[in-house]
Amino acid sequence: MKRLARSIAPHLVLVVFSAIIVLPLLWVVRVSLTDKLTAYKIPPEIGSIGSMNYSAIFTSYPFTTWFFNSLIVALITTMIALPLATALAYVFARWNTGGVALRLGVLASQMLPPIILVLPLFAMFLMAGLMQSRISLIIAHLTICLPFLSWMLVSFFEGDVARLEEAARVDGATRWQAFIKIAVPVAAPGLLAAGLLGFILSWNEFLFALVLSGPDTQTLPVGLAGLETHAGVEIAPLAAATVVSLLPVFLLLPFLRKHLIKGLSLGALK
Amino acid sequence: MADIVLDRVSKIYPNGVPAVREVSLDIKDGEFMIFLGPSGCGKSTTLRMIAGLESISAGQLSIGGERMNDVDPADRNIAIVFQNYALYPHMSVAGNLGFGLQLRHVPKAEIDRRIKDIATMLGITELLSRKPAQLSGGQRQRVALGRALVRDPKAFLLDEPLSNLDAKLRASMRTELIKLHQKLGTTIVHVTHDQVEAMTMGQRICIMKDGEIVQVGAPMEVYRNPANTFVAGFLASPPMNLVSGRLEHDQAGLAAVAGTARFVLPPALRDGYAAQSGNAVTLGLRPEDFHLSRGNVKLSQAVPVATVATEVLGPEVILVCELGGNGGPEVMVRCPRDFSASPGQPLTLHYDLSQIHLFDKTTGKVLSRPSLI
Repeated sequence: MKRLARSIAPHLVLVVFSAIIVLPLLWVVRVSLTDKLTAYKIPPEIGSIGSMNYSAIFTSYPFTTWFFNSLIVALITTMIALPLATALAYVFARWNTGGVALRLGVLASQMLPPIILVLPLFAMFLMAGLMQSRISLIIAHLTICLPFLSWMLVSFFEGDVARLEEAARVDGATRWQAFIKIAVPVAAPGLLAAGLLGFILSWNEFLFALVLSGPDTQTLPVGLAGLETHAGVEIAPLAAATVVSLLPVFLLLPFLRKHLIKGLSLGALK
Repeated sequence: MADIVLDRVSKIYPNGVPAVREVSLDIKDGEFMIFLGPSGCGKSTTLRMIAGLESISAGQLSIGGERMNDVDPADRNIAIVFQNYALYPHMSVAGNLGFGLQLRHVPKAEIDRRIKDIATMLGITELLSRKPAQLSGGQRQRVALGRALVRDPKAFLLDEPLSNLDAKLRASMRTELIKLHQKLGTTIVHVTHDQVEAMTMGQRICIMKDGEIVQVGAPMEVYRNPANTFVAGFLASPPMNLVSGRLEHDQAGLAAVAGTARFVLPPALRDGYAAQSGNAVTLGLRPEDFHLSRGNVKLSQAVPVATVATEVLGPEVILVCELGGNGGPEVMVRCPRDFSASPGQPLTLHYDLSQIHLFDKTTGKVLSRPSLI
C-alpha cells in the first residue's frame, strides 16, 4: 500500500503541474474549433465543432502576411545573429576580449525593460528612414538575440575545445582552420540549439514589432493582438491563429531538446 | 630530426607570475629527454613553449638550428600528445590520424597508406572507423600516439601521456614508448611527475622546481649524485632518507652525527669535508645503502636502530626504523623479502659509507666531495 502510494504520488504532482501548463493550450485549441458564444459558456460545453475559424483567419484577416513577415524576420535574424554570436562567444572564451566588463556590457541592454529601448530605436529608424520596414524589425530583434546567443555559446568554446584546437594547431592547422574544422563542428550541437533559441526569441517578440512595424510588415504576435478590437475580442479566430502560429515552434521543439541535451553533455568527452 | 635548444627561456604571465625562469637546456637530436618535477614547477609550460602553444617572454628557442620563438605551431613540424589525448570527437580514428596530413595536402592515397601503416604498428587497425567516444582509455592513448607518429615530425612532445592510464597499462605503455624511441630514433621530450617513468624511460632527466632547472643528467647520474635535497627526496621510491645532523671531530676522526647515530667518514672523504667541521648538515642516506650484515661492504659503519614497522612489498621489505635507537630520526631501509622484525626490536645495520651524501643544512645544496672509489 505504502509502495503504491509512493509510486503514484510523484505522478499526481506531475499531473497537476502538467495540467497547469497544458489546460490553457487545450482551451485555445477547443475555442479555435468552435464559435465565440460557445467559447465563454459556463459550465463549458463542446457545442458545434468545425474548422470555420481556420478558414476565416486566411480569408477575413491578413494572416498569411503576418505569418510570412514573422518567418522572414525570424529566419534572417537567426542567420545574422548566429555567426556573429559565435564569433563573439569565441573571442570571449578564447582571449577573454574586453574582460568581464565587455561580457556584462553585451548583456546590459537586456537588463533594461525593453520599453526603454523601443523609443531610441524608434527615433533612430525614423532618422534612417527605415520605419515600418522588415529591416528595422530584424535589427531590433538582433539587439535581443545577439547578447543571449553569445552568452549561451561561450560555454561551448570553453574547456576541452581549447585543448582540441591546440592539438589541431600543432597538427598543422592555422587558427582559422582550427576554429572552422575543430571548434565549430565540436560546438555544433550548441550552435544548433542557439539558432533555434534565436528563431523562437524573434518569432515570439511583441513589443518591438508592435512599435516598429507598419500595416504590411506586422508580425504574428502583433497581428494576433490586433484581433482584440474595441468591438470586443474575436476570441475564436484569435485562438485559431494562435494555434497556427504555435506550429513552427512546436515542430522545432524535438530538435531543440535533443541538441540542447547533447550540447550540454559535450564537456563529458575526455 | 632536430635538436632543441632553449637559451635562457622565460615565461612570465600577463599578471606578472613567472612560470619559467631562464631555462637553458640542449636537447640532442634523437634524445629521450624527461622533464620531471612536481605540479606547478613549469615543466608543462616549458613543453608548451617548445610546441608554440605558449609565447616565450624572454630568451631564445631554436629547433634544428632555427630560431622558433615566433614561428606558428603549425610550422614547427613537431607533434604533441596531451594528457587527456585531445582526440577530435567528431572524427573517426582514421580521421584523427589523417587530419594533420590533410592540412599538409598530402595525396589521399598516401594518407591512407600511412594511416594503415601506423594503425598496424600500434595494433588499432580494427578501430579505424570508430569515434573516440567508443574507445577505451588505452585505445585513445594509442590513437593520440598514432596521430603524432603519422606525420613523421622532427620531435615528439609528450605531456604526461600516461597519467590517465591504470597502473598495469601504464607499465606496458612505458615499455612500448621506449621501444618506439629505439625504433624511430626521433627526439622525444616527455613531461611527467612520476619519477619511475623518469628513471626508466629517459636518457636524460631534467628536474625542475619553481620554474627553474635544478639538475640535468642521465638517470643513474642524477640518482647517484643529487644536486640538492629536493632531487634527493624526489627520485626513487622510497627516496633518500634526509636526516638533520652535524659534522664533528672526535678521536676517530671526522664524523657525521645524527642524534646518537655516528657515521665516521672514511679517510678519502675526510679531507674533502674537513672545512665543514662543526657545521650543521643534512645527511642523505639511501634506503638501499643499509645492509643487514657486513657482508662484503668495504667501508661499513655499524648503526643501531629500533624497529618501528615493516612494509612487505613482495620482492622486498621496507623497514621503518629509528636511527641510533629509540627516539632517533625515522628512516626507511630496503631489506630482502625474507626479512622480518617486530616493532620495538633493536637491530644493528651496516651502512655503506662510500655512498653517504652530505647537504648544506640551510641551502640544501650538496657539499662537494672528492669522487670516491
